[in-house]
Amino acid sequence: MVFSSISFLFFFLPLLLLIYYIFPKKYHNEILLIFSIFFYYMGEKEYVILLLLSCFFNYYIGKKIEKKHSKIYLTIGILLNIGILFYYKYTNFFIESTSKLLNHPFETLNIILPLGISFFTFQNLSYLIDVYKKDVPSSKSFRKYTTYITLFPQLVAGPIVRYKDVNDELETRKESFSSFSDGVTRFIIGLGKKVLIADAFYRMYTNIYNSNMSSFSYILVALGFTFQIYYDFSGYSDMAIGLGKMFGFHWKENFNYPLIATSVTDFWRRWHISLSSFFRDYVYIPLGGNRCSNIKNIRNLFLVWTLTGFWHGANWNFILWGIYFFFFLIIEKYCFKKKKIKSHCYTFIVIVISFIIFNITDLKEIMTFLKSMIGIGVPLWNKESIYFLKNNLILLLIGFIGMSPYLKNKINNKKKGNKWIEIGSMLYLLIIFLLVISSILSNTFNPFIYFRF
Amino acid sequence: MKEKIISVSFVIILFSFSLFFLCKEDTLFSDIERRKLKTKEYLQEDVVENLEEYLTDQFPLRNNFLSLNSIWNRYILGNNEDNLVYLKEDYIIEKMYPIEKESINHFIKKINEMITEDLQNNEPYYMIIPDKSYFLNEKDILKVNYEELKKELKENIKGKEIDIFDLLELEDYYKTDIHLKQNSYLKIIEKLGENFNFSQKKIEYKEKSFKEFKGSSAAKVPFSKKEELNYLTNEEIENVKVTHLEYKEGKVYEESLLTSFDSYNVFLRGPSSFIEIENNNIEEEKELVIFRDSFSSSLAPLLIPYYKKITLVDLRYINKEEMKKHLEIKNQDILFAYSINVLKNSFLLK
Repeated sequence: MVFSSISFLFFFLPLLLLIYYIFPKKYHNEILLIFSIFFYYMGEKEYVILLLLSCFFNYYIGKKIEKKHSKIYLTIGILLNIGILFYYKYTNFFIESTSKLLNHPFETLNIILPLGISFFTFQNLSYLIDVYKKDVPSSKSFRKYTTYITLFPQLVAGPIVRYKDVNDELETRKESFSSFSDGVTRFIIGLGKKVLIADAFYRMYTNIYNSNMSSFSYILVALGFTFQIYYDFSGYSDMAIGLGKMFGFHWKENFNYPLIATSVTDFWRRWHISLSSFFRDYVYIPLGGNRCSNIKNIRNLFLVWTLTGFWHGANWNFILWGIYFFFFLIIEKYCFKKKKIKSHCYTFIVIVISFIIFNITDLKEIMTFLKSMIGIGVPLWNKESIYFLKNNLILLLIGFIGMSPYLKNKINNKKKGNKWIEIGSMLYLLIIFLLVISSILSNTFNPFIYFRF
Repeated sequence: MKEKIISVSFVIILFSFSLFFLCKEDTLFSDIERRKLKTKEYLQEDVVENLEEYLTDQFPLRNNFLSLNSIWNRYILGNNEDNLVYLKEDYIIEKMYPIEKESINHFIKKINEMITEDLQNNEPYYMIIPDKSYFLNEKDILKVNYEELKKELKENIKGKEIDIFDLLELEDYYKTDIHLKQNSYLKIIEKLGENFNFSQKKIEYKEKSFKEFKGSSAAKVPFSKKEELNYLTNEEIENVKVTHLEYKEGKVYEESLLTSFDSYNVFLRGPSSFIEIENNNIEEEKELVIFRDSFSSSLAPLLIPYYKKITLVDLRYINKEEMKKHLEIKNQDILFAYSINVLKNSFLLK
């Protein structure tokens, strides 16, 4: 089940809201747990068992770690979590790569990637490590821990919420009109980003890709990749955070206008914050971070960015994607130590190219794409590219405007005390919601990209 | 206050639609999409898998929402090819661009196979019917390079071309449908006569019309208007014997289908793999075989006065071996008459 579906919006959510707010507070976690398991079941059926077993195992290991403060239990916990992730996500990648390397065809296994496994594995890992570091006590009950892991808004595509950040709200949280309406607003904005913008960019670049391509067409496709993934993923995070607020949870931001970053370093402070902070806190710093020799620091960064890339998908292009960022981060860190880079334009170009690597799994095709972008082997422009530019001009404008908070801040500043702007902003939400419904009904395509991770 | 309004309105909207949904009866057919909608029975197969499809099909005010989406895409986002159709005045024009090279090659291969293996003793002709986008200004839309396409076909198809592109104009087509109006074939028949050596007859037709016609493209645009579907008949046409492979006996004009979901099916009952039209009230012994798509359903009736027997073969629904069981190739006139749609999807040809 996805948030941008009729079954979620008009059956799952209203029923959950009804039951949640009718029953007394003491049952709230149980209600969320039951609905979250049902939510996962609707998408993955039999993998619900895997999810619950994973919760039970990590809850049990967490208890052991706390009781004995044993590194052995922590190691067992980490190895088992990574082992499960590796089996489901990377086994076939390694089989295929070995086949190519040895030039011998090994048969791949029939493994289906369970939804959200990358996200809930990382949540489990963060819990075990935090308990070991005594940053947070182990969960009081299996029910509470399972509620944390399975909480439907963040279960399948993040953000990666840490137990220590949500522990208190799992015990006591205060639902209010203010939090609920913030949640509704955030949820609808997220829906709009995903359904009205990200999906439109998907349609734009697939249409262009099917046409007679020129250099300019490739640039439009690359912009389409970038905007689609940004509005898709940040839209999902908005929806998750918004839904959390409707039930009294307040999770950290996952995106902070990353496309207006002034350097690659800045970009990674703004993009998928919960993932980059996970790697920072649980991989980079334990390895020594930057409090070590330059060589070791470069090694640490290389490892972190290779893993970041590999986390996104079991394919060489994702590893290349991680290494690509490593390269720019090293340059920014070591070549521009004194005079820090501050350029929107440079950063945007680096990001756009990165999403070409991210989107195209075939390495040769990536090279062809990059060459074609600068006009090698194709004309600079043609009638098709001009047509597509004209036909998608407004969408591109929306894409560019929405990547900065400028307009939002302007309106927010004027909104205070202005009744008409307040009414206008409510109508705006209503219109977006109606447009989202109309778009869901019209389009067969609407899977979230980050589900595959 | 604002918080309360947003919270309460959101909850009310969610519950209103849910309740509306639960109270309403399933709708069986979507007029504007011209398709059967998924009903509760569909859920019996697999509730989890099929639920979303059922809910989207049966959502309250579905048609209004579909129109709203079209308005958003076409008029707000400025996407002039929303649902892959262009609009010019009231004409709905399906986007045919691009046609894959593989599809063109497959089309050529299929026709040549037929010509070299089965029609060695005949003199086959082929005729391509352009789509509406041919008549639009290139600046506004993306359209197929028709000159290149015609050249490619001419160089490779082992049959003679009957070029009708210059005979047609946009007004010859229905506004809401991909097909040509039947009247428009009259000028094409003149050209066919020049190639197949039959001289024009002065034929009196009675024009019948159906004023509630909405063609297959109408579903792709909100607020499309109804138009007139006309068909030409006379005593000779009404007295021929029509035999379908699928339905056995039939009529040239199945008037009962005018009010069906596709009124165009009035012409020879719509999709059919193999049809024979026998005219026993004619002295000529000439016979014609048309390898065809749906466009020829309205062309064939106008050829009745010139042929003793017309055989219509739709290779999308019947393969060559099956066809040969029912058709003996002798010295018939042979015409391959295909629209651009088939060229675009030629892998449908068996």
